[in-house]
Amino acid sequence: MTLLSDIISASAQLHNSNHPPSDEYDRQVRELVQYFRRLQTTKALDSLANDESFLDRFDPAIDSIPYLFVLHVQIQKAQELNADSFPADIRPSGKLWICAAHFLTSFDGVQVKYAGREWRQLIELVGQVSQAASMASATLVKDAMLRLDPSCAVFTSSHLLLVRLCLEAKAYSCALPVLNKQICHFPISLGSPPSDPSVLCADHGSGVSFMTEDSRISSKLSYRDYLQYFLYGGMVYMALKEWRNALHFLGIVISTPSTNSVSLIMVEAYKKWVLVSLLEKGKLCPPPSITTPHVAKVYQSIARPYIILAHAFERGDLKRLNAEIDAANGVWCADNNLGLVTQVVGAFFSQTVIKLGKTFAALTMVDLSKQVFPSPVSAEVTGSAVSSLIMSRDLNATLVQTKDDAESSMLRFSSIHSLPRLSHELDLQSQLKQEMKLMETMVINLGKTNHNLGLSDEYVDSLHKGQVWSGSSEVNPIVGVEAGLEMDEDLMGDMS
Amino acid sequence: MDTTLPDASGPSRADMDATALEATTITVPRPKALVKVEEPPKFDLDTYIANYAGRTRYDRLYLIGICSPLLSIDALKGAIDEAKINKDVSRYEKAVRALAEVAPSDPDASLDAAWVQETNRYVQTQTERLEHELRGYKNNLIKESIRMGHEDLGNHHYKTGDLAAASKAYSRMRDYCTTPNHITSMLFKMVNVATERGDWMSVQSNVHRLRNSQSKPDDAAKNISKITAASALSQMHQTLYLDAANSFLSIPPDLGDTYNEVITPNDVAVYGGLCALASMNRDDLQKNVLDNQTFRTFLELEPHIRRAIVFFCNFKFRQCLDILEAYRPDYLLDIHLQRHIPQLYKRIRTKSIEQYMIPFSRVTLDSMAKIFAPTVVGGEARPTDISSPFVQELIGLIQGGILNARIDLEKGLLVSNQIDLRAEVQRNTLESLREFNQEAHWRILHAAFIRAGLEVKPDEADASEQGHGGRFP
Repeated sequence: MTLLSDIISASAQLHNSNHPPSDEYDRQVRELVQYFRRLQTTKALDSLANDESFLDRFDPAIDSIPYLFVLHVQIQKAQELNADSFPADIRPSGKLWICAAHFLTSFDGVQVKYAGREWRQLIELVGQVSQAASMASATLVKDAMLRLDPSCAVFTSSHLLLVRLCLEAKAYSCALPVLNKQICHFPISLGSPPSDPSVLCADHGSGVSFMTEDSRISSKLSYRDYLQYFLYGGMVYMALKEWRNALHFLGIVISTPSTNSVSLIMVEAYKKWVLVSLLEKGKLCPPPSITTPHVAKVYQSIARPYIILAHAFERGDLKRLNAEIDAANGVWCADNNLGLVTQVVGAFFSQTVIKLGKTFAALTMVDLSKQVFPSPVSAEVTGSAVSSLIMSRDLNATLVQTKDDAESSMLRFSSIHSLPRLSHELDLQSQLKQEMKLMETMVINLGKTNHNLGLSDEYVDSLHKGQVWSGSSEVNPIVGVEAGLEMDEDLMGDMS
Repeated sequence: MDTTLPDASGPSRADMDATALEATTITVPRPKALVKVEEPPKFDLDTYIANYAGRTRYDRLYLIGICSPLLSIDALKGAIDEAKINKDVSRYEKAVRALAEVAPSDPDASLDAAWVQETNRYVQTQTERLEHELRGYKNNLIKESIRMGHEDLGNHHYKTGDLAAASKAYSRMRDYCTTPNHITSMLFKMVNVATERGDWMSVQSNVHRLRNSQSKPDDAAKNISKITAASALSQMHQTLYLDAANSFLSIPPDLGDTYNEVITPNDVAVYGGLCALASMNRDDLQKNVLDNQTFRTFLELEPHIRRAIVFFCNFKFRQCLDILEAYRPDYLLDIHLQRHIPQLYKRIRTKSIEQYMIPFSRVTLDSMAKIFAPTVVGGEARPTDISSPFVQELIGLIQGGILNARIDLEKGLLVSNQIDLRAEVQRNTLESLREFNQEAHWRILHAAFIRAGLEVKPDEADASEQGHGGRFP
């Protein structure tokens, strides 16, 4: 029982101290975590492992650290007792699961920063337990991540965990709050212990400073982890048909710096990149300019069927497109891209019709189907396809049925003027604002990247000066001539 | 092995034969695959050819002879006479062969073997005599004599049709030229030879040398018209129509008959007018062609070209195109224009459609078809249907980005696109913002990957793959 009172008094101390951020608070939290780690290693906490009432006594929002450690021990105990590594208590709706969920939805973000390793282990456990692909655990992980670091700008292993959970549970939109935050950093090892520890509990607004390798919030990362994360993220966007974002994520994967080798994940991503670029832009986009040239060559050779497909698409030849799709059917199936390929055919139709809108102001459906389809198609097929395009607002046009028959119904493409102006402008404005916000966060992150890389303004200035100096050395001949002249004068002076 | 070897060599030999055949079929019909001009041209052959001097007479007569069935016999006979006077055996044979195809029964259509033999011998001895003389001059080391020896030899080769030898002889003159006048005359001879050979790059480079030669100002002024004419001609042949037009327009009027061996003032007017029509807009045409005092003297020689340009400037495209169409056979029988007429006419037509559209925001397809496709209007039931050639031509122009308009097939209109600047700016801003954000994020991450030491490395991948490989068996 003494242990319990010890813990209570230790955490009570924390309550009494000043509000964060302060050095005092920082010191106390560190001591507390040290204390618990010591208890853990000496197995002293094991006595609490079976005390079920213990967790009820603490509020995870106030006493996050004791709660987390004890919960940890209890889970370990449960795992040790049962041969099964995931006993019933831990499974969803089990006793410990409820405690964990309670903790993850209400923990104190500042305190948990000091116990990153334990927090991550809990998250991973939650992820592993829910084999039944439940949406609940995905939501838990997402909320916990946003709670710990609202900016989510640092890549951690929990990112990958979350996206995988969401894909398995088909809960695509659940991952969006995290996916939409742009990742700009990785946990870095500081080498030496931080010289200024008080920064930990300060309000940073971003996780760069506390998510270091030493904090163990993320497990050890390899390049596969983030490649997978961005590929999965792209797939989430694809499932939601947000092609632009998908393209952005795939672009990250295919432009990853590499030395002499290509990861298969990158090739997978390139295949999807080809298809998604057809869907979004109607043409084959070249890989981002920062892609390593030899990698781009590898893509060209490995993803051959995809590139041929894209060329057929660009040429606007439906017959050839269908032939290419049939010819490489095995490839699409083997790569699990059949779904995207079928969507490409749909996109081909809409792209062609939209392109016709640039040439024609109005034309009959009969003429339209002649322009789009190589072989004659019944009027109903084109009619329904076009009207579904118009209804989905992909095509800005009106379909006028003439009274005699459906054959001669007229498709009239609207010009830009006829748009409902106000809603359009509002829409544009919100989009612009969104992009602005993105750019602002990016600028902040850029500043941090510069700081991490040691690229300060002064450094750039001095580098620039150095270049000017080396540049001036080329003008030396003139200086040399002048020096020579002075020499001459000196000689003359000596003579006289 | 024995059985496969002949098999292997068999097809290859056949391939070689096939390629040889192809090579001959490509080289042989090219001169014969010329345009046949059935319509009668407007000019009179005798007066036309009287304008020219030198070897170009034969070239022009021969071209008319093989392209125009109406004039072929007269023209080819003229060509034969021309070749006989110049003692050019190969040309004589070529002209006789062509005549034999058109009129086998004509007395001139059989080879005069005695003449051929005699002329061959004469040319041979003449060459030997000149070469002997040249050797003599070289031994005496008198520069002027050596130069003249080379010149005589070159003239002889040029006259009898050995152009390669002629240009070689002329270029040897260079070392023995002592005055700027010598250099100029040598360069002109080389320009003439290159013009006849169709070596337009060489014409261009020699024209460049002529421009830079340091002759006296009054001599230079005398030559400038010929130099400009040669340069304009070579630009036209390199399909630089705008440059060619500007060069033709700047030819001084004192060209007159001085350059009859290549080009006459009438030609200057026609070539210059057509190139200008094909490459300039209406304002430039008015300013540079019609108001151009020096070019006016040329234009007066060919009033129909002047009228065509005036019509074009005054927005009367039908009349302009009619005039050009009426003179098409004439131009197709011109040795320099023939190759360029389809291209030039197409450009003029495209440009007139483009210019026609400028003042309108919407035009009925009917009224356009009346101007640009009168035959279609007369012949077809629905001249503005999507499948009519005129509408197809418009579609091609729109898709090629030349016409900024859209076709309204319901009302039969061509509607010009109006750009909503505000929407355009908004769209561009959003687009560039997005692109910037995307690119910036890619680059920041790129730096972050490298900073964290997480590039894709071969050794790690290999190791894990080997690990897998080790595990499976």
